[in-house]
Amino acid sequence: LNVLIIVFTEMRDKLRKWREDNHRNSEQIVDVGEELINEHASKLGDDIWIIYEQVMIAALDCSRDDLAWTCLQELKRQFPGSQRVKRLAGMRLEALEKYEDASKQYDSILQDDPTNTAARKRKISILKAQGKSAEAIRELNEYLEQFVGDQEAWHELSELYINEHDYGKAAFCLEELMMTNPHNHLYCEQYAEVKYTQGGLENLELSRKYFAQALKLNNRNMRALFGLYMSASHIAASPKVNATVKKANVKYATWATNQINRAYQVSYARCLL
Amino acid sequence: MGEVELSCLAYVKMYLHACLFPRCSVNGLLLSSSPAGGAVCVTDCVPLLHTHLPLAPITQLALTQVDVWCAQTQQRIVGYYQANACVSDSSPTPCALKIADKIAEQCNNAVLLMIDGGKMSPDYRVPPIVMYERKDTRWTLKDKHTIMLRQWEETRDIASQLLDSGDHSLLVDFDSHLDDITRDWTNQKLNAKIAELASPANDNLGVCQLGNPVLR
Repeated sequence: LNVLIIVFTEMRDKLRKWREDNHRNSEQIVDVGEELINEHASKLGDDIWIIYEQVMIAALDCSRDDLAWTCLQELKRQFPGSQRVKRLAGMRLEALEKYEDASKQYDSILQDDPTNTAARKRKISILKAQGKSAEAIRELNEYLEQFVGDQEAWHELSELYINEHDYGKAAFCLEELMMTNPHNHLYCEQYAEVKYTQGGLENLELSRKYFAQALKLNNRNMRALFGLYMSASHIAASPKVNATVKKANVKYATWATNQINRAYQVSYARCLL
Repeated sequence: MGEVELSCLAYVKMYLHACLFPRCSVNGLLLSSSPAGGAVCVTDCVPLLHTHLPLAPITQLALTQVDVWCAQTQQRIVGYYQANACVSDSSPTPCALKIADKIAEQCNNAVLLMIDGGKMSPDYRVPPIVMYERKDTRWTLKDKHTIMLRQWEETRDIASQLLDSGDHSLLVDFDSHLDDITRDWTNQKLNAKIAELASPANDNLGVCQLGNPVLR
């Protein structure tokens, strides 16, 4: 009996961790969650409702409409008229590619509650799924005018701009994110990549600075290390730079090369163990 | 124009790459261990990215590293593949065209291959791919009759098996390698698994020409 209890608590804790980390490991969530719901529902207490929600979303991700439907019914029964459950119903319609019906669902949420950010963002996701990037970008910009602190939205917008090759605007979004998250090495590194892609000496120098900043925040960021090497090399090779700048960038590039070689040596050693 | 042959190894890894990251656009390079001239034989592929495909630094880095590896292993980069996140549109993106152009600079009959996500279902009968070749600076659709996959049904079955067994998660693309440099982007482990599953070559069974039904 004790073994069963341990297994059950392990499963429940796993689900909680994945929820807290916002992991999209949907296949695993479905695996663990389905068993938990089918075998151990009575032990879950009030946790069961949030687990139904988590498993439902994962089930949609894995095309398990049967499981998603079951979870949705339980939630509908327990929370009739809930906006949160309405949104889940909308997501199911999205998964079934019934975009018009899903949109109507979100519109009805917004009618009752115009500040419902979740519904607004789902509507934008629909545009994205339909390949309507220009509209998605426009709606997301409008959304951000009202909800200027929404990090997730800023990042989504930067991704949309990158896909449209609008690097200037992508850089702007990442600048917003770096301002509010100065310790996040990933934003620095992505910003540097965008600047590098834009090209030109000025942008290359900016990209080198931000690759270096990303490394300062996380010295194991390989993309930043390679990025530093590449941007410094390109600057050093440019006919437009004077001898001093050239010398400095050769130094940066050499330093980066050494760090890269060291990192690979350590990794080979680890592989041999 | 020229004939293109796609090996089991190349197809399976490309297909698994798309399956491993269903919510992302993915891309990679097509390689050949055959000498230049005559038909293009795509014998292997290197999966590259599943994030930020249009950004330059990592793509440039990957192209350089694959180039070096090819020189060491007597292979050439002969093409590029991509699968778009949005399954309703499998046409080449500007970034796909750009990279394919670059490859074409070094390789005369380079190919651009798009995986058609909309046609990837468990029981698909024809390879869900669309190929383009370069005709006067523009990438044009290749005649289906010039594209060959030997042992197609076996290839398709191998891909399904690896998906079912979860072994597709063995696949390492360049992005994953940068997240953890102990992971091998040349995919030796997965290559071995695929070789294990492939029966001895028999040219007469299941040759698939994209333009014709499977021959027996």
